[in-house]
Parts: sequence; structure tokens; C-alpha cells
Amino acid sequence: MRNKRAWFAFPYVIWMALFVVIPILIMLFYSLTAEVETADRTAFAGSLENFTGMTLYMSVFGRSFWLALIATVICLLIGYPVAYLMSREGPGFQRVAMALIMLPMWMNFLLRTYSWMAILENNGLLNQLFQKLGVIALYNRLTGSDIDHFQMIRTSGAVVLGMVYNYLPFMILPIYTVLTKLDHRLTEAAEDLGANAVTVFRRVTLPLSVSGIISGITMVFVPSVSTFAISRLLGGGTQMMLGDLIENQFLGGAYNPHLGAAISMVMMVIVVICMLVMNHFGDGEGEAVML
Amino acid sequence: MGKNRFGSRFLIGLCFLFLYLPILLLIFFSFNAGDSSAVWKGFSLHWYRELFHNRLVIESLATTLLVSLLATAIATAAGTFAAIGIYSLRKKWRDPVLVVNDLPMMNADIVTGVSLLLLFVAFFRGWGAIAAWLNSWQSLITFPTRLTLGLGTLLIAHVSFDIPYVILNVAPRLRQMDANLVEAAQDLGCTWIQAFFKVILPEIKPGIVSGALIAFTMSVDDFVISYFTAGSATQTLSMTIYGMTKKRVTPVVNAVSTLIFLAVLIILIINNIREARQAKLASKRASFEPVRENPRAERFRAWLSTPRGKLMRRAAAAVLCVVFVSTTVFLTAFTTSRPVVNVCSWGEYIDEDLIDEFEAKTGIRVNYQTTDSNETLYSLLSNGGADYDVVVPSDYMISQLIEEGMLEELDYSQIPNFEKIDSRFKNLPYDPENKYTVPYTWGTVGIIYNETMVDGEIDSWSALYDGEYAGQVLLINNSRDALGIALMYLGYSVNTTDEGQIREAYELIEDAARRGMFQGKVMDEVFQTMEGGNAAIATYYAGDYLSMLENNENLRFVVPKEGSNWFVDAMCVLKDAPNYDNAMKWINFIASTESNLRNMDYIWYASPNKEALEIYPAWYEEQYGEELDPEIYEIMAAPQEVLDRCEMYVCLPKATRKLYNDLWIKLGI
Repeated sequence: MRNKRAWFAFPYVIWMALFVVIPILIMLFYSLTAEVETADRTAFAGSLENFTGMTLYMSVFGRSFWLALIATVICLLIGYPVAYLMSREGPGFQRVAMALIMLPMWMNFLLRTYSWMAILENNGLLNQLFQKLGVIALYNRLTGSDIDHFQMIRTSGAVVLGMVYNYLPFMILPIYTVLTKLDHRLTEAAEDLGANAVTVFRRVTLPLSVSGIISGITMVFVPSVSTFAISRLLGGGTQMMLGDLIENQFLGGAYNPHLGAAISMVMMVIVVICMLVMNHFGDGEGEAVML
Repeated sequence: MGKNRFGSRFLIGLCFLFLYLPILLLIFFSFNAGDSSAVWKGFSLHWYRELFHNRLVIESLATTLLVSLLATAIATAAGTFAAIGIYSLRKKWRDPVLVVNDLPMMNADIVTGVSLLLLFVAFFRGWGAIAAWLNSWQSLITFPTRLTLGLGTLLIAHVSFDIPYVILNVAPRLRQMDANLVEAAQDLGCTWIQAFFKVILPEIKPGIVSGALIAFTMSVDDFVISYFTAGSATQTLSMTIYGMTKKRVTPVVNAVSTLIFLAVLIILIINNIREARQAKLASKRASFEPVRENPRAERFRAWLSTPRGKLMRRAAAAVLCVVFVSTTVFLTAFTTSRPVVNVCSWGEYIDEDLIDEFEAKTGIRVNYQTTDSNETLYSLLSNGGADYDVVVPSDYMISQLIEEGMLEELDYSQIPNFEKIDSRFKNLPYDPENKYTVPYTWGTVGIIYNETMVDGEIDSWSALYDGEYAGQVLLINNSRDALGIALMYLGYSVNTTDEGQIREAYELIEDAARRGMFQGKVMDEVFQTMEGGNAAIATYYAGDYLSMLENNENLRFVVPKEGSNWFVDAMCVLKDAPNYDNAMKWINFIASTESNLRNMDYIWYASPNKEALEIYPAWYEEQYGEELDPEIYEIMAAPQEVLDRCEMYVCLPKATRKLYNDLWIKLGI
């Protein structure tokens, strides 16, 4: 009986081959070729120059992975407690809180990020607030410096803040989902057996929520490492990330799809390896992803 | 416990404060009377009224909703179908399929976007031959021989990234479902189709609904994948906003977002109340209290299950479907059947009323799009990413496009207004015989500085590089301009191909960057940074300076004594433009004195139309009842002695362009 409906999967397999697998193969092809000019037209020729030339961008790779890592850790540190506390609230509160976490996604993420610019600017709301509260004067007195604002925007900190802000819901949602599905009899049993709250959390709750943590980490880390809008808006062009570099090769000034494809390939491979290692630790069940 | 609860809610509240602070700010500034999102100028509903006149925003909103709805509908149906199929596969086959299914979600958006872009470009390259062959042996359908990115590719991309979410939500439900149920239904005489509708569908419905919801949310919120696959003749709201965040986000977008936000909020509240009521009902039922439902609702429900009710239900569904499909068809037909001209220009580079006027006068629909730099435009054109008729590149890019055979000669007999263009702007080096272009605007590059943040007057490029204003300078984020300025400061030609000179210019910038001179690299972001008084010095275009001056009167502009760059942006028509004659009409309309006057007044860039340029001060006085500050006029239309100090860019040879790029990337990392 089972196999009778298996052909239902067939159209989708073809679709995936066309729009998931083949594009990646084409990207691979691009990354392994370069444009050469022959007498009458430009042609592609096999070449490894895209990969060998990539050493130039090592610092961009380093910065992207480093900032994304920091953002992911911060998201986890904020997201886990919030998800945990939410899951212990009453059902009415939970419903409202869930809605409130989903709601920002309906506000365009670029606009939300743009809004941070107004907050973080040198003359922005936060600096004005600091000035009114005398924080800046105090800082000047303490350090003997003479500044009239804190430089917040156009720094790597601002980029990390943008990532945390935009992707925090993606950390909270899967962890929350896993925690609400947690069988309370297990924690009760642990308590009955004499474990204190910390032990219950450490030995029961945390291990059971690993799958949520892993999908949360994936959903924060992957978009963070490849973002280009956030680094451009909040980093002010000073924090070039992999996303910027790739975008620049396809739709920007540098126009070299071959190099762009090669960078994308390398990034993809590194990310996939990271994820495989992660899933190995969490004996991978990717099912917790969101709802 | 009570205290505990308070502490926990306080922490959750803090998290929400963090999430909602920027959103509240956004909503707050949608009621701003001024057009800045940093300076409050009083309460007004101006931007909500403006919203209905802003075509760019309305059209991109419509595109976003159309694509998201269609993609969600297709992905939900296809995803459910596929999930059932995958669930029925043998494990040996199921696992690899699921891995590939996860791929788009594991992959960074940018990789998905880029790889789809490459697929489409490759397909379009091959399509020309296929279409020609198809057209040669049958004449029933004429296939277009040239395809471009647009609504179709955007839809394919959205469906592709939506399906995995649907499958991921439906699959667990299928697994939880008791497989015997279907067999039982079939044993009791159901066909498989009936069993599907009566047994499977109700079981997996929550998964389908949440899958569809997530797919829709993802589609609406997506920016990166759309950005790469939509070309730029089709723009989603995200793309429009991205274009704006570079310059100045008009609060119209804040207004749109506020409305969307409110709509979603209301839906969520209603849904919450309903769920809360259901939960209450359920708990009442559980405790065997008498449940009193609304009698009218009960009667309605009973009526629904009568044969007539069932019929009505189906009819209602059918009507909804028909409405949905016909709106789609109508919308597409409406946008394609009218004569049209596709124009691509820069952000906020036209008085938009001119577009409406042209449409009313000629009946030709103007598909007006924007990109942000000459280089982006070039990339789009080389990708086959756009189907424009008219583009407005700058001088050096025009000569590059001519060199690569990407422009069509103009038919000047259809553009009588070309006569009115000042002879100073004809036959310029980028188009020596003036066969391809009609100038649109011209101007100079200079230093913009904030009077209150610098000592005395600035008159030299040295202000960008010497130590006095460390951390207060904005570097222009464009290799040509940034290196060009350094070359001018060093006393070389901006068009030099001498590698030593270019490297010297690069070292000048690099050295200054190491000393912390530059606060950031900006293009159109310069507007809000300078207007808000967040940096002291920037380099940008004269016309844009005058726009900034409206929002911050402390700003000053100077063309430095070492000289500068002067530029012309001109209208050109692309090779094989599908709407050539309409393009001629558009160019002629824009070249008229009236259009030039209004454009000049709106964007503050000088007009190449001799008459318009001369009478502008008088026209201004007539319009606004006050005299035009002669200083402003002089900045807008630089007098000849200033132009004599300036040099125009010419197209650099390929090797030099590559050097520029390499150096520029090296500077950024």
C-alpha cells in the first residue's frame, strides 16, 4: 500500500533537481571557469584562479564567521532563557508572547534595521540620551578623554547588534517549541527522585532541548554569516562581509560572477561542514525547526 | 511564586522591548511632518495621504502580495502532495530526498539567490536558439526570443524556497497519523481520493495551515533571494525599501509598514481571542459544565451541513477561487496589454508627477525602475537581468556601453526637443557624434561639510586626508570617485591609466584609513548621515547637497581648488529595446523645457536644457514668491570658470578597471 502513492513525490524530485541541484552545479561550473577573451567573443575556460585568488579575502571570511559566531552566542544566551521562561507561563500568556515574537517579521527587516540607524547614529537617540543623562560627561571625566558622542554605528558591534536583533526570533521559536513539547512527567520524576532545580535543568531539560538549540543556531548562524544588508546599513561599508563580497561580484561594481560563485561555494561548504559537526553532537533530528 | 512570575515576566518584557523599540520608532516617524526619520517636525498624516500617490511603493506592495500569495498557494498544494509521496517512499529513497529538501533551508539565502540567478541566466542564453527553432517549425504560438528576469523567475524562486517549509510542517503530521485509518476508510468503501479528503486531510490540516503560514511569512519577509532573481524590472517591497535605505527612506514606507503591522496585529488579536474562547469552551466541556454556544452560530453550523448549505459552501469557495484567479489575470493583462516604456534611472531622480502626466498625455504606461549606481546597472544589463528601454547612465558608463555595443542609436527626428539642449552638452567625448544620447542632468562633485563641525572654510581635498578631522570624514563608496578624488588631489588626471599614479592614489587613501580618518564608506547613505550632523565632511554631488541643505542649513558645498569631476547623465536606449518608439516619446517629453524646469526644481540637479537653465531663477520666483538664492543657483549650475577646473571621466581600459576593482576590494578588507 505504501509504495502506491510514492509517485506523488516524483514531480517534486524533478522540481528540486531543476531548481536546487542544477543551480548549484552551475555555480560549481562558474567557480571553476574564468572568462577569457578570444578574437571575436568572450568564452569560458577552465581555471582555478578564482580559488587561488581567494587568499586575498581571508580576512573577510574570518570577520564574517567571527561576527556571526558572536551574534549566534548572544542570541543563544538571550533566546534560551526567554524561551524557557515563556514555556513555563500560562497558555494565554504563551499565545500572546508567541504572536508578539512572530509579529516583527511582518515589518520589513530592512526597515527595522534602518530604524536602528536612527538610534545608533552619532547624533542619534541613544547618544542624545547619554548626553542628557551625563554619561558622556562622566566617561570624559573618568578617562580624561574629550568626546561628544560614542561611536556606535559603523562599527562591528553595530553589525552584531543588527544580526542579534533580526535573528533572535529564529533562536527563540525552535527552542520554545521543543520546550513546550517536553514531557513534564520527566522533570517531575527527577524532582521526586531528589534532584534540585539546577540538576533538573542540567540533566533533564537541557539535554532534551538540544535539537531546538541546534536548529536555532542554524537559523541564526547561516543568515548572519552571509548577510549583506545589515553590514551595509549598520557597518557603514567599513565591515565588509562575505555577503557584500558576493553581492559585489554579481550585482555590484566588481562584476565577476566566476569569483562570486567560487566564494559562494567555499562559504557553502564551510557552513555545511559546521552544520554537520553540530548535528553530529545533537544526533541530528532537524524536525524542531519552528512550529 | 508570585514574585518569581514577576521576575520572569520582567525578563521576557525586556526582550520584547528590545524587539519592539525600533518598530515603535518606525511607527512614530510615520506621523512626522518632515521627511526625516531622525528629526521630529510635528504631527501629521501627510505620509498616509501621500501613500496613495506613491506608485513605486503601491506597485511593489502589490507585487509582493501577488507573488507571496501565489507562491504560498502553489507551494502549499505542491508541498502537501510531495509530502504524501515522500512519506510513501521506501526509506532508502526517502532519506536522500529529505536531505535535498533541507538544502535550501541550510543554504544561505544569498547562495540560493545567486545559484538561481546563474540558472536563469544560463537558461536565457540558451533560450534564444530554442525559441527560434520552435518558431521555425510551427506558427501556432510565437515564442519570445528574449527572456529576462521578472515576475516569472521571482515566482519560481519563491515557490522553491517555500515548498521545503510546507513539507517540513506536513511530514511530522503524516508520520503521527495512524496509517491504518486510511486502510480502514478504504475497507469501508472509500476510494483513495475520498479517503484523502475525509481522513488524511483533516488529520494533517494543522500542519498544512502552519506550513502555509510560515511560507507566506517567509515570502513577504524575503529580500535576498528576490533581490537576485527579480531582475529589477519587477520590484518587491523589500527591494524598493532597500533602494531607499541607501538614500532616504521616505516616511511613506513607514506608513505602509504601519498599516501592514496594524492589519497583522488585528488578525492576531482576533485569532487570539478566538483561540482563548475555544480553550475556555474546551475546559468547560471537560469540567462537564453546561456549554452555551451562541444559538445563531449553532443554527448556522447546522445549516452548513444540510445539502443546500454544502452547495453554498462549495459555491462560495468557487467564487473565491474565480475572484482570485481573475484578479491575477486582470492584473497581469492590465500591466501588459497597454503600450509601455521601461525606464531605469537613479533613486529620487525625477519629479514623479511627470510620469503621471506623460501617461495621461500619451496613454503609454511608464514602468519606472531605479538602480543605485552605474556599476550595478552594468551588472544588471550584462546578466540579462533587465528589460529596459531607456536608461540614464553617466558619461563614462555610456562610452563603455557604446564600446560594448549595448546601445541603440537614437532617432533624433522623433526628439525635436533635442534642439533645446545647450550646445555645451552636445558631442561630448563619451558620445562624440551624439548618436546615442540626450543629456538629462549635469553637475559637479565637491566637498560637503558641516559648518558647525569644522573650523573656518574648507577649500581643498586635503581635508579628507590630513589629521584634523579624523573620524569625521565619509569616504565615497565607489572606486571611480574615491580614487579619482585622490588622483586630483595628487595633481594627476582622473583618467590616468598609469598604474604608478593610481597606486599612489590608493596609498593616500589607505594611509588615511589607517589613521582612522574615515568614519565610513557611503553612497546615498550620505544624506541622512550629513543631515543628522553625524559626520563633518563628505564628498558628493552638488544637486544632492542642495537636497540635504533643505534639511540641515549648516551644510556647505565647495568645489575644491585642486579641481574636481564634472559629469553628465544622459538618456540612452538599449539595443533591441522592445518599445523603441515609446522610448523616443519619453525622451522627447523629458527633454522639454517644462519637464526640465520641474525636474530641476525637484531634484536640484542642473538641466542641460538651455532655456530651462536660464529662466529657472525667474520661474522659481514665480512659483514660490521668493527669490532664488543666487549662491544656490551657482552651486546647482556651476559657472564656466568652475567647470574649467573640472575634468570629465572617460571610460577606462579594461585592465585599469580591473586594477581599480582590485585596489578597492583591498581597501575594504
